[in-house]
Parts: sequence; C-alpha cells; structure tokens
Amino acid sequence: MSVYSWKTLLTVGIALLLFPLALACGGDDEDEPFRIGVMESATGPGETYGTVAIQAKEMAVEEINAAGGINGRMIELIVEDSKCSAQDAITAYNKLTDVDGVKIILGTSCSGAMLGAAPLAERDGVILFSGLATNPDIAEAGDYIFRTSLNDAQLGVDTGNLLWADGVRTLATISESTDYAEGVRRTTVEQFEQRGGEVVGEERYASDATDFRTSLTKLFSENPDALHIASQSEFAGGTIVKQARELGYEGPIYSEIVPIGTTALEIAGDAATGLKAVITDIDPANEKGQEVLSNFRERYGYITLPWYLGSAYDDVYIAAECLKETGDDQDADGFRDCLYEITWSGAIGDDYSFDERGEVVGLTNVVVEVLPVSERNEDNNGYRVLGPAPGS
Amino acid sequence: MSLITQAMRGLRASGPLRGIPRANVERIATILVLVWAVGFMLWQGAGFTITLTTVFAIWAILAVSLNLVVGFTGLLSVGHIGFFGIGAYTMAILASDASYDQLRTESIPTPDWPFFAALPIGIAIAGLVALGVGVVFNRFRDDIFVLVSFGFAIISFSFFLNLRELTRGAFGIHEIPRPAFGGWVLDGEVEFLAFALVCLALVVLICWLIVTSSFGRVLTAIREDEEAIAVFGYRVTHFKLAVWVLSAMMAGLAGALFASWTSFIDPNSFILLESMLLTAIVILGGLATIWGSLLGALAFVLLEEGMRFLPFLPPEFVGQARQVVLGVLLVVLMLFRPQGLVGRYQL
Repeated sequence: MSVYSWKTLLTVGIALLLFPLALACGGDDEDEPFRIGVMESATGPGETYGTVAIQAKEMAVEEINAAGGINGRMIELIVEDSKCSAQDAITAYNKLTDVDGVKIILGTSCSGAMLGAAPLAERDGVILFSGLATNPDIAEAGDYIFRTSLNDAQLGVDTGNLLWADGVRTLATISESTDYAEGVRRTTVEQFEQRGGEVVGEERYASDATDFRTSLTKLFSENPDALHIASQSEFAGGTIVKQARELGYEGPIYSEIVPIGTTALEIAGDAATGLKAVITDIDPANEKGQEVLSNFRERYGYITLPWYLGSAYDDVYIAAECLKETGDDQDADGFRDCLYEITWSGAIGDDYSFDERGEVVGLTNVVVEVLPVSERNEDNNGYRVLGPAPGS
Repeated sequence: MSLITQAMRGLRASGPLRGIPRANVERIATILVLVWAVGFMLWQGAGFTITLTTVFAIWAILAVSLNLVVGFTGLLSVGHIGFFGIGAYTMAILASDASYDQLRTESIPTPDWPFFAALPIGIAIAGLVALGVGVVFNRFRDDIFVLVSFGFAIISFSFFLNLRELTRGAFGIHEIPRPAFGGWVLDGEVEFLAFALVCLALVVLICWLIVTSSFGRVLTAIREDEEAIAVFGYRVTHFKLAVWVLSAMMAGLAGALFASWTSFIDPNSFILLESMLLTAIVILGGLATIWGSLLGALAFVLLEEGMRFLPFLPPEFVGQARQVVLGVLLVVLMLFRPQGLVGRYQL
C-alpha cells in the first residue's frame, strides 16, 4: 500500500483548508486604524490606470501615517481588484463591506465596475468615491457616489467647441468601442454639430485591433478638415496617429488624453507632433501637483496619466480630511455630508468641490499640443499647455 | 514519446495519488472541496457567503448545462458565453426601467417588463439562436467544432458591443430589476440567493432526467462513437441539436439571473475569457457528471475569491497573484487529475 493513505491525505487537506480560520482569530480593538476600502482594476483592461491609482493612494496613506495619522490614528487601505467588470466589482464590494466592514470605498478605475457596484453602495449607504471613472451615467448613480474625475460629457463639449473655434467645419472620427471612447466621440460630435459642423465619416474599432489603415483610408477619402481620435488604449491611440501620417494625411488631428500618453507618443514618434488634445492636466504652476508627481517618480520610477494619478492621490487626502471631521470610519452619512460641503485644494487643482450629484466642480479641461520629439521630456510629458478649453 | 509525456506519466505513477482507488480520490476531492467551502464561509461570515453562493449558483447552472454538451455529448464548445449573454441582454433590454433622457449617451427604449415576463423570452431567444447556429454547427466535429464555437463567442460579443440601438454598446444597461412575485420583490440578497438556488435545482433536475433517460444514453453513445450509433438508425444530428438547444436555454436562464443580480451589464461580462473559464470549470469538475460540474463551479468560486485573502503581498500585486495562482492550480490539477475532480472521462 502507498505511504499516502487516503485518510492521511484527507486529514492533512482539512487541516490546511481550515488553517485560515485560525488566522482569523484574535485581534485588539484599541487604537485601530481608520479602514478604507479601495477598489481598482489591478488586472483586466483598466490595469494601467488601476495600478497607478493604487500606488498613488498608497503613497498618500504613507505620507499621512508618517505625519502622525488622523488625530493619532493611522489609515489602513484594504485593496481589492475590481477587474474593470461589474461582476467582479460586486464581489469585491461585498468582500469589503461584509468581511472587512468598511463603509468608505475609494474607487473604481473603470466606469463599468463603478456602475455595477453603485446600486449596492447606494442601497447600503456606503461611500463610493472615484478618482478615475468618467462615464456620464455615473452622475445619476446616487447620493453616496462621488468622483473627482471629470465627466466625459464635459470633455466632449470642450472638444466640440475647440474644433469649431479652430475653424474645423468637416470632421472624421475614429473611436474605440468602449464606454469611455464612445462617450467622448458621441458628445464631441453632438457639440460640433450643434455649432454647425458636419461629420463626414465615423469609424469604430475593437479593443484588440492593431491595423487601422483601412478605416483611415476610408475616412480620408471624404477629405475632412480634421481627424478626431477617441481611444481607450495607448497602443491603439499611438498607432492610429502613426498610420494616419504614413497614409499621407497632413491635416490636423485632435484627441482626448489617451493618444498623448507616454506609450502612445513613443509609438507615434514625430507623427504626433502638433496633435491637439483636450485633457485634464496638472497645472505646472500647481506646486502641490508637481510635488506629488516628483515624489511618485522617485518612489516608483515612472509617471503615467499624471492627472489621474493626482486625482487618486487627492481622494485619499479628502477622505482623511472628512475622517478627521467625523472621527468614525463607519459614519458614511457624515462622510457624505462632509464631501458635499468640502472645498479642496490639492494636486489636481485649487478650490474644487462637489455638486448635488457628487460631480466635481471647479476643475476644467485644458488644450494641449504635442511637441516635436526633440523637445519632449519627463517634465513636459511631451506636450505644452495652450490654455483652458474654449467655452461655447 | 516526448520527454514531457514521460515525465508526466512518471509523476502520476510515483505521485501521491498512486495506489489510491479512484472512488477514494473522488471522495477525498468531494470532502475537501466541501470542507473548504464550509470553512471558508464560516471564516468570512454570512454576507460574503451569500454573495459567493449566488455567484456559485449562476456559474453552476452554466457549468451543468455546458456539461450536457461537452461531457455527455462530446462536443467541446467554447461559445456558451454567447447564450449566457443573450439571456442577460434580453432580460436587461426588456426589464430595465432606466431613464436615459437626461444623459448624453446612447438611449434605448425601456419596455420595463416584469422579470418573469422577460425571463421566458430570454430563454426562448437563447434557444432559437442556438437552433439557428446549431443547424450549421452540426456539420462540424472535434477540433473544427471548437473553432466554430470560438467564432460564435466572438460574434456574440461583437453584437453586444455594436448593436447599440438595442444594447447601448459599451455603455451597458443599468437598473435591471430583481424578480417580483406580485408585490413581493426579491431585492434582498438572501431572497435572491434562494431563488437562484431554486433555479439551479431545477436545472440539475432537468439535466438528471435527460442523462438518465434513453435520450441521455444516446448522447453518451454519440460521444463514444458517432458513426456506430448512426448505424443503428439514430439520427445523430437531431440528438446533438436537441441537447445543444436545451443547454443554450439553460445558459439563457443563467444570463437572466446574472443581469438581474448585478443590475448592470456591459459587453465586458461576456468576453471569450469567461467562456474559456467556464469550459475549464466543466473539465475541472469532471466530464459527464452533474455532481462534478457543481463541484467544479464551487471549487472555482472558492479558488477565485479565496485568493482575495492572499497575505503578505503588496496590494497592487494581489490581483495579478490571484490569476497566476489560479492558473498554476488548474495546471497542477490537470497534471494529476486530467479527468477532473470526480470525472470518468478525459477530453
């Protein structure tokens, strides 16, 4: 007979499986830290943003704790992966609220995950506070739902106005089939047409597409005054710009933030020079913002999506301020009231606050222009700010 | 014989499972998974247990229904997620009462049907689509069948994403209601879980009736030797088509439950990866065994969600670590138990 009898195996197996129960026992209630849940996309389509958001939040918490915490109490982050999906956001949410007992959750990175968890948060009276989700639908998600990220609808309005102000009268658009990119395209076109412009071509692509020449050739055959790109992934954004120039297109290109990300500009190279984008950006004159970026680069060795990094960072400090006021991490109602009343100055801007729908007010988009390759560096992120987005 | 094959045989011959009768291995697997489930749920408390059990119920319906096709009939399909999505989207489109008027995103009609009016429509549409594609798929077998079912999963996803006038595309559909009996809305998590378990029990019962009937014996015979059973006068294509449609209708039911439970769906819930995971669950539990599919779904949910509690890892790596550990565990299991936890057959 084998040295491994099935009864031995069974006993060892049960002992191993029940081991976590022993870990759960014990604990001291005194001087417990404030516990805050974090739901970001550590994996899945939003991994780039999610990882930056987690790291920015960890950095902020370490700073606060190193400075003595909140009235002597430390902050503890409990991080869960929401994978950019509604189902995973729901299980992550239930783990945070049922197992860890948190009432304040910072996240999520993706709008789909946010819209999945928001009804539960609203029902349970749990704060869901995002620095990155931009889908316009979130504005109506409820009383406990807040965000420091700007609504895509505003981005589209600003882009439509910019196109018109720049003399563009006929436009071709190419957009990724995601909620973010589709939202930007739709609101941009709506505003552009409202101003009197005409859309002469629209193309969409799946997130795994790598060759856009056919779509671009079709769009350029309509002789548009300008091309607008709305992309979810930097790879696609950079590749579209590069292939557009390779096809001989010399007209102006407009976009949102993704096609001017670090990776996208590396892919596009000089083809991206002169591209104009409407983005949220950390003001070079904002000392706090520059300090945060500098500390982040020193700590993690890279910078990407600086504004979203700053937004995630600010969320932790805003949460700390409200926890200082309520003194209780279980008081979601007090925390919500604090958010409605607070006016904050941080990495992403000065004197911003939240309206009755939990939408951030006091922050604006800016227009940037991509610099030639020779002028791009870590400090300017490859572009220069032309000024605030034009109003209607 | 390749070195890898020799090594694997050596591992099996000298490994910890050597000398243990098959029935005992199955008993160990069953007891371990059940003890694990009970221990984990006691540890994590009632709230999270309810969530995980609801997730289990939905995955179990999918796994049991897919096992009818993959395990009992021998058609390796990786397109089941398409029928799951059809059920979910039908429920969402018919039952959602969201108002999109004030939003500047895609707007779709919202008929605002009750859950139980939309449910049979979702199941029926999943069945009708399965009938349509099944007529074509019946021409294929083995590797080619895998490829065409793969194509079906891709096409389904593409429809969910691009049929914006119905599905809102990437924006997804929200405010999908919970089931209601008259004025009694199952909006509590416990009530919904009970309803999901009732649905699971019904699906298990139907599957059990199918596989223990003469119809089920023909399916098993088709898996073993399609030509031989045809020689006896059985119209093989009809049997395959029938089980394919039944399986799709059950997946449609799971989809409707899923949409109602999450209250929000978008195309990301119906990607090919989910279909692959589902097929992995069926193989993990064991082919041609209903109990195996239940056990596979339970083990999968416990593995997937249990990994949330991995200690000693920086938060930004926990998500990636979960996926790596899950993948490695599946590979190890397939190495030592290629027939799954309680299965009798290999692919």
